Amino acid sequence: MLTLLNICLTRRLLQSMLNPSSEQADRIARLFNYFNVAAGGMVLLVSGLTLYICIRFRSKKTTRHIPEQTKGNNKVEALMITVPGILLAFFFYQTVSVMHSVAPEPDHFPPPDVIITGHQFWWEVRYSAAGVTSANEIHLPAGKRVLLELKSADVIHDWWVPALRNKMDLIPGKINHLWLNINKADTYAGVCSEFCGAQHAWMRMNVMATDSTSYRHWLQEEAATALHPADSLSAKGSVIFAAKTCGGCHNISGTASTGQVGPDLTHFASREKMLGGIMPVTEENIYRWLSHPQEIKPGSKMPNFIFSNDTLKALSHYLGQLK
Amino acid sequence: MTDNIKIPETKQAIPGLSINNNRGLLQWITTVDHKQIGIMYLVVAVIFFLVGGLFALLMRIQLAIPNNHFLSPETYNQLFTMHGTTMIFFVMMPAIFGFSVYFIPLMIGANEMAFPRLNAFSLWMTFFGGFVLYFSFAAGGAPDAGWFNYAPLNEKNYSSSPGIDYYCMGLFLAGIGSITTAINIIVTVLHYRIQGMSLTKLPLFVWMVFVNAFLILGALPSLNAALAMLLLDRQFDAHFFTAPGGGALLWQHLFWLFGHPEVYILILPAFGIYSEVFQVFSGKRIFGYSFVALSAVAIALLSFGVWMHHMFAVGSGTAVNSFFSASSMLIGIPTGIKIFNWLATMYGGNIRFTVSMMFAIAFLVEFTIGGLTGIAFSIVPLDWQLTDTYYVVAHIHYVFIGGSLFGIFSGLFYWFPKLTGRLLSEKAGKWFFWLFVIGFNGTFFIQHILGILGMPRRVYTYPDLPWYGFFNFISSASAMLMGIAFLLLLWMIHSARKHGTASGSDPWDGFTLEWMAASPPGNQNFDRLPVVHSRRPLWDLKHPDNADDE
Amino acid sequence: MENKTMIKLVIGTEGIFFLALIMAFVYMAFVSGYEPANLHALNIKLTAVFSCTLFASSGTFWMAEKNYNNSNRKGLLTWLCVTMLLGLIFLGGQAHEYIGLINKEITLSSSLFGTSFFTLTGFHGLHVLIGLIVFGILLVLILLGDFDRPGSSVIACAGMYWHFVDIVWLVVFTVVYVLPVIHVLK
Repeated sequence: MLTLLNICLTRRLLQSMLNPSSEQADRIARLFNYFNVAAGGMVLLVSGLTLYICIRFRSKKTTRHIPEQTKGNNKVEALMITVPGILLAFFFYQTVSVMHSVAPEPDHFPPPDVIITGHQFWWEVRYSAAGVTSANEIHLPAGKRVLLELKSADVIHDWWVPALRNKMDLIPGKINHLWLNINKADTYAGVCSEFCGAQHAWMRMNVMATDSTSYRHWLQEEAATALHPADSLSAKGSVIFAAKTCGGCHNISGTASTGQVGPDLTHFASREKMLGGIMPVTEENIYRWLSHPQEIKPGSKMPNFIFSNDTLKALSHYLGQLK
Repeated sequence: MTDNIKIPETKQAIPGLSINNNRGLLQWITTVDHKQIGIMYLVVAVIFFLVGGLFALLMRIQLAIPNNHFLSPETYNQLFTMHGTTMIFFVMMPAIFGFSVYFIPLMIGANEMAFPRLNAFSLWMTFFGGFVLYFSFAAGGAPDAGWFNYAPLNEKNYSSSPGIDYYCMGLFLAGIGSITTAINIIVTVLHYRIQGMSLTKLPLFVWMVFVNAFLILGALPSLNAALAMLLLDRQFDAHFFTAPGGGALLWQHLFWLFGHPEVYILILPAFGIYSEVFQVFSGKRIFGYSFVALSAVAIALLSFGVWMHHMFAVGSGTAVNSFFSASSMLIGIPTGIKIFNWLATMYGGNIRFTVSMMFAIAFLVEFTIGGLTGIAFSIVPLDWQLTDTYYVVAHIHYVFIGGSLFGIFSGLFYWFPKLTGRLLSEKAGKWFFWLFVIGFNGTFFIQHILGILGMPRRVYTYPDLPWYGFFNFISSASAMLMGIAFLLLLWMIHSARKHGTASGSDPWDGFTLEWMAASPPGNQNFDRLPVVHSRRPLWDLKHPDNADDE
Repeated sequence: MENKTMIKLVIGTEGIFFLALIMAFVYMAFVSGYEPANLHALNIKLTAVFSCTLFASSGTFWMAEKNYNNSNRKGLLTWLCVTMLLGLIFLGGQAHEYIGLINKEITLSSSLFGTSFFTLTGFHGLHVLIGLIVFGILLVLILLGDFDRPGSSVIACAGMYWHFVDIVWLVVFTVVYVLPVIHVLK
């Protein structure tokens, strides 16, 4: 009990169901509370009965009497059917009503605010209206109803931000939708919740909910093309990036690199974390990653390049400047 | 009293070799005797349990602390896939079949299964299925897409090692073995019952296994079809599960059309074992026989209409989800009936706390927890928050271990004297019970909380979020207790066979016919058999003035 | 009795296996990427003729069984051979159809239609082949004199299996060949 209390008090439990933070989450959290009460009661009933029967009817070694051979009792059976039946009927009603409010299905979905595409092992985030593409950090306006479109580029993934509650699969060849009304501006951690291969564990994301002004501001910044290299080292890095076929997989707007296979790097350095949450974006980390990607995230699609020290320095400096 | 006894009529001569010649291993390999085959099934289950359990412990070591590098992600993914596949197909299924083929003839007063050679064939199909699955380790990597092996991750582009090909072939072979066993069981029960034992007078274990056999016949073909299609995809570039716009979901439909009944296939025989154990160790007959028996049929029928509750997050729409939500909830009712009828059976009884009974009593509580968390998954919005998290891991282990495995342990302690003629030590058995039950709850109860805290399943490691490391460490430490407990059980079996107390033919004051046979039973099973008038022929024999009146 | 119960259960479980394959075929037909144009590659009339040989073989086997029950060994042998011949003709027809399709570059891997068509009809063909092997074994046993007297359930069981394979083909033929044509006519 103490531990449970403690958990509730732990501030900023990023990735948890204990602080529902969207309208959808509130509805589901209330239903979960009903369920926990009913289920807890049922467990107490069964374990209480078991304990009582075990103590009262335990065999006394001295006198082994033959108990009365009862056969059954239809009234008791009827009770066993109706009581759970009523409970289940209640929960079925709740199920349907919460489903309708959390996941309404209009005849035609309006254009989505954001399109999320699952890749092994990262999240592609596309805001078509604003012409913005990003990865792993999903900026959304708080206090506004948004529609997410979910799809997959390879295997099945699953969108899950525990504090926002409802999951939805990202399935190749299928388009799914998810409604969200995030209550307050904050950062919410999320994960891929359907096993998707070697690095399923590191397919994490953050949902950054902000008020609508900062959201619009962020979109404008993201829509801009990449910054030009500010110093000679990053200029060297940008040349290497183009020459070493990095651009075959990665896109950097405003340059010749237009690959769509890996995460978009236009504003890479403005993100907090890289590699689906493994480490923060710093030049040192980029350096480490580029020098042996298959050791840091084995199974990811990033091949092991053999770069000289200077090349690595220039590249990581360049990427570290892409705010 | 002698009027009630007769010499059994031999339905069929036992083909092949008799048990008591001295040919050692070769004799076991060539046997078609249902008792030897039953024991071999149990041995297969124990061996695979050791391997599957070892995998589980390796996984728990990896997860004991955050950001651990004990196992590589590739290894971890192979281990959890093999752990699930092994435990379900090569531990639980063989253990259930072992008890079934050993005890069905004994409990219905027959001297063999209907098709002894087919019985041996089934055993060897199961065995070679497991062998083929494990051969993948030597052939370049075990399957690594999880035991339910979702498409398109199971396809060549995403899983290039041959592991999944071996998964297909291994499970296909074992599946054929399961189907032939099921056929054998049904025919035996329909045609080999002793005179007087109508279908309504079957011991509940036999009834549950009988119903279960139909479930196997209905469920396994979907899996076999899906495996055949997957193999065609992988080997001949067919496009079943790579088809754009739905191929990936076809696998899920076919797999869960098998997979959900499979869960009941693993639990119904355990329900049968508990039903026997509760009766004998309470000294009472079952409360509400027909309700317990018919609720099994209800579960079996419903199980074919609930598969999509594994797929609530695929975006099927409210109408479809509502239907499968309702059908899944309905299963709670027959299951509840069973739990309360067992409690009512104990009520007013004379309860003897043998290890077998203790596992049955523990099951009541553990399975209630597992059943209720199961209801959580039928409530669609709760499924949306809980599915594919550690909550579901906790749930399946509460039903598989707290339900099926406790049943197998309960049956082992109950029937071990019949299998060997010797008793397992009750004293050491209580140690085993408490170690295992404490270890089990310590490992898995906490995983409910981890799920609620947002930990997804099947991750090879996790970042150091608040409480994650602490709870995972407790879970891992408790898992070790289960490992130690199982080693204790193996030692107990070994020492009981060497110098256990001789049990005699009826150590528990049993109710059903197997306790009429010698321990272990001779070649023909029975020297004498009573005329059956009720569901408890031995009770009638022991209490002629208080005989059952069905 | 035991044998008959067994074969009924085999038929039941095999029926569900085919149900799964048929469901997959129907499912595929509604998935994007399915090319209905491929349906025109099927020669429904020719296949109908070969289907009739399979359906007829059920009748001839029924005759074989009747002769067996009347202790007419010669009649049994003759009708069994006719049944096997009809079964072989059906398989030959299927082989001919497969070769034709492969020449049109419709294969297991060419399209969704190819995948589901070859799998479904292929598994059915496999079951016909298994039936023929069973009949082959029966033939040898009859020649060895195992079935001189009526009373064995083996012939009846083989017959039940064979009729089952026929019924499956009736369903497969309807789903794969007839229904799409009706659909197109509409």
